[in-house]
Amino acid sequence: MIRNLNILLIFTSVFMLAGVYALKFSIENTASERTALIAQIDSQEGELSILKADEAVLNQPGHIEPIIRRHELVLAIAPVKQEQFGAFEDLPMRPVQAKPNSAAMNALFTALESGVDPIDAILELEGIE
Amino acid sequence: MAVTTEEFGSTIALDGARKARGNLTQNRIRWMVLALVLGFGLVGGRLIQLGMVVPDSTIEGQARDVITATRPPILDRNGLEMAVDIRVPSLYAEPRRIIDVEEAVRALRTVLPDLDEDWLRTRLTGDKGFVWVQRELSPAIQERVMRLGIPGIDFITESKRFYPGMSEASHILGSTNIDNQGIAGIERHMDTEDVALLQELGLARGNALAPVELSVDMRVQHVMHEQLVDAMTRYKAIAAAGVMMDVHTGEIVALASIPDFNPNEPATALVKDSFNRITAGIFEPGSIFKTVTMAGSLDSGAVQITDRFDARYGIRFGRFTIDDFHGKHTILSLPEVYKYSSNIGTIRVMQAMGKDNYRAFLTTMGFDARVQFELPEMRLPTVPKELSEVGAATASFGHGLSVSPLHMVTAYAAFVNGGNYIAPTLYRRDQAEASLLYRRVIKPETSAEIRYLMRLNALEGSGSQMNKAALGYRVGGKTGTAEKVVDGRYSSNKVTNFFGSAFPLDNPRYAMVIMVDEPRAENPQSGTTAGWNAGAVTGRIVQRVAPMLGIAPDFSEVLDDNLVPPQLR
Repeated sequence: MIRNLNILLIFTSVFMLAGVYALKFSIENTASERTALIAQIDSQEGELSILKADEAVLNQPGHIEPIIRRHELVLAIAPVKQEQFGAFEDLPMRPVQAKPNSAAMNALFTALESGVDPIDAILELEGIE
Repeated sequence: MAVTTEEFGSTIALDGARKARGNLTQNRIRWMVLALVLGFGLVGGRLIQLGMVVPDSTIEGQARDVITATRPPILDRNGLEMAVDIRVPSLYAEPRRIIDVEEAVRALRTVLPDLDEDWLRTRLTGDKGFVWVQRELSPAIQERVMRLGIPGIDFITESKRFYPGMSEASHILGSTNIDNQGIAGIERHMDTEDVALLQELGLARGNALAPVELSVDMRVQHVMHEQLVDAMTRYKAIAAAGVMMDVHTGEIVALASIPDFNPNEPATALVKDSFNRITAGIFEPGSIFKTVTMAGSLDSGAVQITDRFDARYGIRFGRFTIDDFHGKHTILSLPEVYKYSSNIGTIRVMQAMGKDNYRAFLTTMGFDARVQFELPEMRLPTVPKELSEVGAATASFGHGLSVSPLHMVTAYAAFVNGGNYIAPTLYRRDQAEASLLYRRVIKPETSAEIRYLMRLNALEGSGSQMNKAALGYRVGGKTGTAEKVVDGRYSSNKVTNFFGSAFPLDNPRYAMVIMVDEPRAENPQSGTTAGWNAGAVTGRIVQRVAPMLGIAPDFSEVLDDNLVPPQLR
């Protein structure tokens, strides 16, 4: 009876021992994975910070202006002059028109209803299918 | 006779073999238990000891937290980065782990040839746990050093401050030292507030801190910087500086001073003459100070805009006679005094107010204290406590006292915004916040008269050079040509030129002061007075920045006519 119990206990111990070892190694594994991930995140954050800094440099007016100056002639651009500014108020009012041509509109709608689209004739004339 | 056991003395008991063995086993077990307890006690004790040890996180006297501490990014008013943190590798060594110092030195110098051999050898010898070898390297160098595979040599990631605008806003931003502490400019100011505390607590690591928004507009800053650099070469000047301020909120939109430095290389900040002339430079303001005299006198009621002043003869003070530069030598109306920049007329205007009242007005305008501002680089203005008759006379046209351009722009802002003094700031501040800080210095009517005078001077007076470029933006301003004192005398060929301005004067939004130090004539037809340089620079800046600031050009003369005070119509 005691002997059986002892045998059982010994097997349990061995089993537990193996389990604990396995656990230990798996934890070590996870820990090193974690360390590697932290290092990776760190280096990526570092790269990201450099990329952001690059972006900030590229966005600076002081960086953009020389580029514009280089291409000024080719693109035919120049700093805006005061005379070039306009306002909506400066636009003339729409000229007073005659009444809409309701007869022509009615003719168009009846043509469309009967299945004849006047645009087709124009397209045909231009040679567009 | 009875036999008792007593008679035999004590009995002798002999333990049987089994019992004797049992006793021995018990003894052994006791010893074993003791040994085990001692063993476990030892292990437990060591564990406790290890638990008590505080890991050493200091790096050459500084905590690791400080080394890797980050600073909040600095943005301009449109959200463009002006300063960001980048992560860079720094090379350190653990001399106690280095096996062969000679080999390590040789190998390291193949990648970093700039390192001194002897210095490196002494650095790597010894039993120290941590020494820096070189800080803030590039990732490429890190890669090459790692390939060398020297034991006891490793990298740590540090954060380094980087300024994408390079030198454009150098005087605003200042710079940081290698340990990420602000040493100048707004960086230093941020440290005095809360960043340093965060870093000390170790909270400022890695994770993004809330960005700091400045009032500066990088587009305007760029134009101002570019135009000042241009002015330096165009007029062969020794220095140029400029500042633009929102007259209603006190926000500084642009501030530049040339020569400047590259904040990415903090050592360049120490170069002579690269100080911030706007805040830390004090100058005799010259005629731009006449605006102050006019504002004070008109506001006191001692003079009216319709008054006339006798400027036919120079004014004598004992041996001195003060005369006019472009002498008209006639009787001048007050707007003419301003337009022709008449010293005689200005003295008469000041005398009508009285020299003590005039001195008191200078205090009201904050000319005898430092301007409340974030930048730590400041110098006290020198304004005499008491003004003598002649002292008051020269002060009225900006001689015999020295103030910073920041003082002048703040005063100009107050003169045109309706008469409210508002201290400048580099942080965002909206109209509501600003109006709580307003301090009334002149009446709104006086402010309207000053706006008229400034615009008049641009249309007909010394500001016409400026107005040519900035046509349509309703700029007005005053020139100032201050002769420098050379060997105790005022020199006529070494001058500091100023242009104080505001625009658009029909509804003022920005005030600006431009300074050009010791300019020469651009060509034989031009002169060295302020209208030719500081004024022209102002005009070119306004022409380029006004559209960015949402000010549309308007050529209608009615806007200028509206500025004319009713008494003069």
